[in-house]
Amino acid sequence: MMAEGEAKVLFAPKMTHDERPFWEGCRGHRLLFQRCARCGKVRWPASFVCPECSAFDYDWIESAGRGRIYSYVVFRRAFHPSLEGRLPYVVASVDLDEGVRLLTNIAGCDPTDLQCGQPVQVEFYDREDGVSLPFFRPVRQ
Amino acid sequence: MSAGGRERLKDRLAVVGVGYTPQGKVPGRTALSFHLEACVNAIADAGLRKEDIDGLLLYRHLEPLGEDLDVTGFLVAQHLGIRPAVLSQEAYCYRSWLTHALGLLETGVCRYVLVCYGDNGRSQRRSFVGELHCGAPADDGAAFGDFSVMAKYALCARRAMYEDGTGPHVWKRIAASQRRWACLNPRAAMYGKPLSEEDYLSAEYLVEPFRILDATMITDGGRAIVLTTAERAKELGRPYATVSGFGVSNTAMLPLWQTHTDRTSGAFPAGRDAFEMAGITRAEIGACEIYDCFTYTVEATLRDYGFFEPKDSAEWFVPERIGPGGSLPVNTSGGLLSESYCMGLTPVSEAVMQLTGRCGERQLGVLPGTKRPEFILCSDNGEVYQSHLALILKEGGR
Repeated sequence: MMAEGEAKVLFAPKMTHDERPFWEGCRGHRLLFQRCARCGKVRWPASFVCPECSAFDYDWIESAGRGRIYSYVVFRRAFHPSLEGRLPYVVASVDLDEGVRLLTNIAGCDPTDLQCGQPVQVEFYDREDGVSLPFFRPVRQ
Repeated sequence: MSAGGRERLKDRLAVVGVGYTPQGKVPGRTALSFHLEACVNAIADAGLRKEDIDGLLLYRHLEPLGEDLDVTGFLVAQHLGIRPAVLSQEAYCYRSWLTHALGLLETGVCRYVLVCYGDNGRSQRRSFVGELHCGAPADDGAAFGDFSVMAKYALCARRAMYEDGTGPHVWKRIAASQRRWACLNPRAAMYGKPLSEEDYLSAEYLVEPFRILDATMITDGGRAIVLTTAERAKELGRPYATVSGFGVSNTAMLPLWQTHTDRTSGAFPAGRDAFEMAGITRAEIGACEIYDCFTYTVEATLRDYGFFEPKDSAEWFVPERIGPGGSLPVNTSGGLLSESYCMGLTPVSEAVMQLTGRCGERQLGVLPGTKRPEFILCSDNGEVYQSHLALILKEGGR
C-alpha cells in the first residue's frame, strides 16, 4: 500500500542556504522555523530578512507540530507521471500554532471527511532519497 | 484615498487597433506566426503603417515548444520588419503592459505601442506545469505533489467555499454563461459547442474542488492591440476606446500565504483606483470583461471590486445578470474559458470591440434585452492572483 498520500515523488525540496536548516530539522523529525530576533515574528518560507520589521538576525525555534487545516485540495489527476499510483492525494496549507502556514500533505483519512479548520498533528515521512517530508494527520479535538 | 493623482490621465490613452488570428486548435503553426498575424492585423485595424510602431511589448515569455524558436521581441520585430525604439517582454506574469505603454506614450518616447501575445500551446500540448518541460521543480511544492497554477487557485477557492459558502453551484453558472456567450461569437474556440450547468457538474475533477471545466482552455492563437494617445487616436478617424481609469497592484506573495478574510488581493486597490480615476460608480458599468483563468477567478475579482458581498455570490451570478440578455453581461466573448487563451488581451480586446460596436450577433445594444455600454470594466491578472490590472474603458470621442 502506498504511504497514505505522502507525496513520494522524484522532486526534492530546494535546499537553499536559507531553507537547509528546516529540511535538516525534518530529517531529525523536528519542525524548525526562523524567529526574528528583533520583533519575534516566526516566519516561513525561510528568509534572509524579516518580512515584518526588516531585521536580519534570527534564531530557530521548534514547532510543536500542531495546527489547523487552512485549506486543502484533492488531486484527482496526476500532473506528473510519478504520482499516478498515489491518486487521490491531498495537498493542504496548515496554520501552525506558532503562526506560520506550511504547504504540506494530509494523510490518514478519507479526503471527503476533511474540512478547513480541522486540527492536525505533524508526522514525518522518510523518503528513500534521504529527504524527510512533514505531513499531517487529523486529530480529535 | 486618491488614485495617485492620475485623474489627469483619464481618457488620454487609447486602444486604436485590435488584431485577431484563427484560434482554438490551429495545428501546423509556430507560436511566432500567431504573434506576427495578430500584430499585422492590429496595425491594419488601426489604419497605421508598420513603420509607425515605435514600441513593441510582448506578453510574458513562454518556453518554446517542439521545434519552435524562442519568441523574443527581437524575433517579432525582425519578422515584422520594424525597428521600434522600445522593445520589451515580460519575463514573468507581471501585468505591466498598460503602465509601461502609458509611460512611453505620455513622455513622448513612443507614438504607437503594439502589445502582443501568441502561442501554439494547444497543438504542441503546453501543460503550464513547468516541471514537465524542464524537469526541475519550481519550488518546494513539487515535493508534496503540488503542481500547477490550478491547484494554487483551488486552495483559494476551497477556503472561499468554507468562508463564504461559494462552490460549484456558483462556478457552474459562470462556465455555462460564458459558453452561451461563446456560442454567439464565431471567433470563439467553443463556438457551436453548447455547455449546460449539468454538463459542468458531470465533468471530471482535476484538483478538487475544480473540475476540468473550471479551467481556461489552452489554445493556439494570438492577439495584439495598438495603443496611442487620445489625440492621435482622434486623428486616425477610426473607432477607438479610451482608458477612463486603471489601477495596478501586485500582492506578490502566493495566495497560499494570504488570509482570505483579510481581503488583501491586488484587485482591491486596483479596482478602487480604477473607479476613482474614472470618476464613476459600479452602477455605471455596462459590462465586465474579467480575466478568467478559472471560473472562481471571475467570482473573486468581481467580489474584490465590490460588486457583491462575499456571501452573496450565488445570488449575484445568475444568467439574468451575467448571460446573454442579462443586466450586467460578463465575459461577452466567451472569455478565456470559452473564447481563447490570449491572457489579458482576451478581455481587453473584447471590451474594445464591444465599445466600438463590432461584435456582430453578441453586440451589446443589438442583442435583445441589452443596451450599448458606456463603460466596460476589464481585468487582467498574473500568476496566482498576484499581479492585478483593473481597467475601465469607454468609446473614444464620446
